[in-house]
Amino acid sequence: MSITRRELLKGAAALGAAGAVSQVAPKLAHAQTTQKRELVVAQGGDISKFDPHFSTSSNDIRWSFNVFDNLTARRPDGSLYSGLAEEVKLESQTRWTFKLRHGVKFHNGDPFTSADVKFSLERTYDPNAKTMVATVFTTIDKIDAPDPHTVVIHTKKPDPLLAARLAFYGGQIVPKKYLESVGNDGFNAKPVGTGPVRFVSWTKDDRLTLESNPDYFGGRPDFERLIVRAIPETSPRVAALLKGEVDIITQLPPDQGQRVNGNGSTRVAGALYGGLYVLAVNSKRPPLDNPLVKQALSLAIDRETIVKELWKGRGIVPNGPIAKGDNHFDPKLAPLAYNPAEAKERLKRSGYKGEEIFIETTVAYVAQDKAMSEAIASMWKDVGVNVKVEVIEFSVRAQKNREKSFKGVFWSDPTSTLGDPDGMMWRLLGPGGPQDYWREARFDELGNAARFSVDEKFRGDAYRDMTRIFLENFPWLPVIQPYEDYGLQKYVEFTPNPNQQFEIRRFNFKFRRA
Amino acid sequence: MRGLLPFLSQRLLRALIALWLVSTVVFVVMRLSGDPVPLLLPPDAPTSEIMRVRKDLGLDRPLPVQYAVFLKNIVRGDFGRSLHFREPAFSVVRGYLGATLELGLTAFFFAALVAVPVGLLSAMKRNTLLDQAAMGVALIGQSAPTFFLGILFILLLSLKADLFPTSGRGDWKNLVLPAMTLGAFTMASIARLTRSAVLEVLRADYIRTARAKGLGEVMVVAKHTLRNAAIPIVTITALQFGTLLGGAVVTETVFSWPGIGRLAVQSIYNRDYPVVQCTVFIAAVLFIVINFVVDLLYGFLDPRARTG
Repeated sequence: MSITRRELLKGAAALGAAGAVSQVAPKLAHAQTTQKRELVVAQGGDISKFDPHFSTSSNDIRWSFNVFDNLTARRPDGSLYSGLAEEVKLESQTRWTFKLRHGVKFHNGDPFTSADVKFSLERTYDPNAKTMVATVFTTIDKIDAPDPHTVVIHTKKPDPLLAARLAFYGGQIVPKKYLESVGNDGFNAKPVGTGPVRFVSWTKDDRLTLESNPDYFGGRPDFERLIVRAIPETSPRVAALLKGEVDIITQLPPDQGQRVNGNGSTRVAGALYGGLYVLAVNSKRPPLDNPLVKQALSLAIDRETIVKELWKGRGIVPNGPIAKGDNHFDPKLAPLAYNPAEAKERLKRSGYKGEEIFIETTVAYVAQDKAMSEAIASMWKDVGVNVKVEVIEFSVRAQKNREKSFKGVFWSDPTSTLGDPDGMMWRLLGPGGPQDYWREARFDELGNAARFSVDEKFRGDAYRDMTRIFLENFPWLPVIQPYEDYGLQKYVEFTPNPNQQFEIRRFNFKFRRA
Repeated sequence: MRGLLPFLSQRLLRALIALWLVSTVVFVVMRLSGDPVPLLLPPDAPTSEIMRVRKDLGLDRPLPVQYAVFLKNIVRGDFGRSLHFREPAFSVVRGYLGATLELGLTAFFFAALVAVPVGLLSAMKRNTLLDQAAMGVALIGQSAPTFFLGILFILLLSLKADLFPTSGRGDWKNLVLPAMTLGAFTMASIARLTRSAVLEVLRADYIRTARAKGLGEVMVVAKHTLRNAAIPIVTITALQFGTLLGGAVVTETVFSWPGIGRLAVQSIYNRDYPVVQCTVFIAAVLFIVINFVVDLLYGFLDPRARTG
């Protein structure tokens, strides 16, 4: 399973076109190749934990997906490919067999076997281990390891997404023997995986040093050392890129794209984010329990303007609850409409009497949240909604989220971790889910049936129906599907993933050599 | 030095009271600011899990009990375990302290070494172009926000002039921009105060006497003026160290300098009580120790202070 160079170039060209990456005159060609053997990446925050089962934060998983491997993995184009499992086979409705790669070693020299897989996956949901990823593999009934290179997973019910689930967080394979001998704290301090880079040292809030794994089964990456720096402020992070101190920066805001593209030796590379930025709605609170009011609120949002002005074009207008690039995304469905006259009309029909509608916004919980809140508030005012914007702090949001006590609408970034509506809208909006504020019997019936079916045709129909019900009730008001942008030196060839996984492998990263 | 022992013990007692007050305020404020548990667990964690973590962290006990435990542990030098890093809070803070001391002391000495001569020169050449220029720059240094100065230095001296790295900790070159940024306010304050202190002394009778008896200008300045102007200068300089610790919060964030200022901000966001308490406590200790040293310096500079 390898990607050809032509495919890679095609992907890069598509990406360039989609991202409108400007090409700068070739007179700076000297800056566009390098002999560097060290890759330096700056991200917006420091790492907090290395143990991949104890964090889902983007600053951590960027590196845990490079130090560790999963049984399956996801390419930048969204497709699944083989990771530590060479072959994945669905043997019956509830029985999956994984044939593991031979000859893979952990960074400490221990051989990788089926015992490590069984240990890692069971660890995630072991109540005594108290991991942060305990809910990822709840569909698994039991795991057998009949021989060192075979793993059999039995699921409680049919689970169409098991292979996808294994590719994301929770699915990183850790070394059983080493972890048991050094304990959780020892493992977190000196993590050992099978991935393309291995841990060397970490100075908190300063730098993480990794080195390439020469024995990596997917080929040694195109560098010897990888340095990760934490530069929290955007402006210094961009300055470090422009000056050539770092090769890649993450979390590039849309208003900085021009600076990076206009610099001559740097450029922007982006991937359409595998998820949506939405205003989630507390549909239990009047007047938001009235579908007509929510339809009006959606119609009153001029998303085109938000994309153009606030995001400098670095995003697209969603057409429903399924992100573009995910399974069962319907390209024939039109983007969500902007129609203030119709919004006024539906407000009138709903019997809305000017009750206050709250936008409880965070600042930088999702990029541009406060600016988008203010823009949307003024659009809603224009159609006669009595809107109030309140700024809340992250921890307050976390608390309200837990208590389900939001007063109106609030920002959320439903991420399609599985590349599928099940891992996104159904995980969040389903009964008992973190955003369970609205129920509709038919929606629930379909969501459940799709979760446990391995018939993709059936699932496609179910999600189409669910989308229709969604668009009448708007448990979320989807606003934008943004690009996840990175700033790169021009001598870096890198195709990012649609989520924040940031896997660096031979097929998506190389230095341009003279 | 007859009065030294009572002098010392009185200062020590004051220092202890200050430390107790500071820790109490931090304890109360951190607890007013919200529950850390929702931030530590995934959003869909069940209530039983929340209760378990609250119990593990001792957050289910009444506040007075938490306070008593907190004080008892502090006396033993135990600040608890960081909720975020899962290691002793003190060892977390210690890991960051070196970077802040390096930056703070560099900024401090840099500020003092530039500011005192500039202030002195301004006073002696008062109302000349040199004086006006120096005091004009000082005014900018005092009024420009640290954040703005930091970004400005990065743009001008790093991106345009290519003299220094943009951020991070490394060799001496990495230290220059953050130290200039952090020291700017202090430098400006010290320069302005030095100027006015020296001007005041220059008007004193004993200076006229010194000049009258035919001493050269160098002697007048070095021996008679500076020593007498030193007390307010030393006072403000020491007090400025507190400002430096405060300024470190912003400077360290702009230059991604791995010091306790940045740690404090991050820990406040994380509701990491033990680390915030430990950071503030250590900053307070630093400040108090410096003031204590200054008190001793007074005694050396001005014998009257020993009894007064």
